[in-house]
Amino acid sequence: MAVRALTDRSRYWLLILPALAAMLIFYIWPLVQIFAISFTEPTTGFGNYVDLVSSRPIRTSFVITFRIAAITTIGCLVLGYIVAYTIYNTSVRFVGLMMALVLLPFWLSVLVRSFAWIVLLGRRGVVNDALMSIGLIDQPLPLMHNEFGVLVAMIHVMLPFAVLPIMANMKGIDPSYVAAARGLGASEFTAFRQVYFPQTMPGVFSATLLVFVLSLGFYITPALLGGGRVLMISEYITYQIQEFLKWGLGTALSVALLVATAAVILAAARFVNLRKTLLERG
Amino acid sequence: MTKIMDSSQIEDQEFHTDLCEIAVEKFRAGKISRRNMLQLLGALGIVPLLHDKAFADTKEIVLVNWGGKAAEIIQEVLGDTYTAETGIKVVVDGSGPSAGKIRAMVESGAVVWDVCDSGPGSAIIMGEQGVAQPIDYSIVDKSKVIDGFTWEYGVANYMYSYTLCCNTAMLEAAPETWADVWNVKDFPGKRTFRKSVRGMLETAAMALGHAPQDVYEFLGDEAGIKAAIQKFRDLREHIIVWPSGSMSQQLFLQKEVSIGCIWSTRAHLLKDEMPAGTFTTSFNGGVLSPGAWVVPKNNPAGPDAAMKFLAHSQKPELQVEWLKQIGCGPSNPAAAALVPADLKPWNPTSPENRATQTVYNDDWYAKNQISAEELYVDALIN
Repeated sequence: MAVRALTDRSRYWLLILPALAAMLIFYIWPLVQIFAISFTEPTTGFGNYVDLVSSRPIRTSFVITFRIAAITTIGCLVLGYIVAYTIYNTSVRFVGLMMALVLLPFWLSVLVRSFAWIVLLGRRGVVNDALMSIGLIDQPLPLMHNEFGVLVAMIHVMLPFAVLPIMANMKGIDPSYVAAARGLGASEFTAFRQVYFPQTMPGVFSATLLVFVLSLGFYITPALLGGGRVLMISEYITYQIQEFLKWGLGTALSVALLVATAAVILAAARFVNLRKTLLERG
Repeated sequence: MTKIMDSSQIEDQEFHTDLCEIAVEKFRAGKISRRNMLQLLGALGIVPLLHDKAFADTKEIVLVNWGGKAAEIIQEVLGDTYTAETGIKVVVDGSGPSAGKIRAMVESGAVVWDVCDSGPGSAIIMGEQGVAQPIDYSIVDKSKVIDGFTWEYGVANYMYSYTLCCNTAMLEAAPETWADVWNVKDFPGKRTFRKSVRGMLETAAMALGHAPQDVYEFLGDEAGIKAAIQKFRDLREHIIVWPSGSMSQQLFLQKEVSIGCIWSTRAHLLKDEMPAGTFTTSFNGGVLSPGAWVVPKNNPAGPDAAMKFLAHSQKPELQVEWLKQIGCGPSNPAAAALVPADLKPWNPTSPENRATQTVYNDDWYAKNQISAEELYVDALIN
């Protein structure tokens, strides 16, 4: 019986193999099949992609999707930065509690949280009822079934994803830099703007990327709160596959979404060293 | 890859699964007392109660529908009564008799279903493909089915409609026609229409002034379809779509909409759930849609036994019971007279209601649905 000395390299590959196999079988292979469907149904060729570009509702849907993802990202960044800054620059006693509160939404499913917004924002929902009983308005405000409702709910759902990377970044920032800046005569705002803020950029950047990419493909919240008029691509894909049975077009749309997302990430990679940003702390 | 099914099948399927959801809601509300918890779990489609006997057994009929509480109700209303009369056991299987499944069964030679709750579009297709049996009209009585709802390979079992419903508490006057629904000034508030174009373009055509009977003629050419779509584009700011039966019900319950085009079965539930006197349903300009019994070729119990069961399901009293429990309209014209007075306005197939409705045209949908769907989505989001 020959004894083979296992080199470090082959040991490394053997450890990775099960995960890689699972990934290939359950993720890559079905993805390849989806690619294949987009090229073969209903007829072989690029027909579906031509339809995709020439169809007006699809283009509108892409525009809506990117617009909502962009606004959600900006909203999450602003709010998320404030939350993260507060957590790391207030009393040490509360840090644990505040972090737990940030993570609390993850205990609930997204579906439940979206339905909660329906209860809050409906015509006879909590917000409208409160405003009407105070007397501020006499007709209920249209807070739901439009872009406003979708944005509010999406910012709420995506916020933890924005807070966490920024928090991780801030954790690694040495407070002595700001102290040094103050010591050299800078005002609080100048110290923040020129010393602290640039150091948080990697965290902000990861948060932007994470929230944007997630929002692009998000389905449940816009589907529930959009009223059928805020049609994001993910919902459009579902429509094509389940209702119209146009699997060719549906898969082509999925591929298009995948390519768009990859394009966003690649564009980001040109400006920032992604490996350094996402894998290193601060 | 799985075969692409035709669009009319999807119509039947979505409505049928909606029936299951209604039934589950009723059970949870304690309105129906149910016997077998295991059967409920099985009938919800997770584990089909499939028989694995592939040979003829005249002591048993396997009836297949779309599961859920609708399965339990059909067991009680049709199955148990048939067993009481003839001694032949009726087993209800809720695994959803799509045309694809029936075809697979017949072509593989292992048919285990006797009677299937399908739809006319599927019945026609299955007949053409040779997987369904022609209905034996010497046993099944044609006169017991409303005119026009018998086909070579299927016979109507129940009917439902797309109706004009409104919350009168939110309006000063109730809209009476679809043209009123498009009149946002006099009838304010949001409207709800189906997310899919099925059953919806007809309402736009009627709002343009066409009589229910002329609707499909008007929609027969591209100009007609475009005009109807333009109507939706005009109204789009006021529309909230319902993606499912339960959402259509919820939109009314939450007072999000004041007017809507929804299924009669959901309207049937809303009449009890909305505050008294605030909810009305009008079949004026409604779109009537039938389900159909289909008997697969080489069914285990044999054609005779299946046809006798179909004849049994035509009994007017049973259909009235069915209407009471789940809101499905009877297909037997004699049943309308037996419907209790308070339920009469809610019966899609009562003579008064039938006179003002048009019938869902499967041929038109087979030809135009896909292109119409895309135009409809475009109208809503642009």
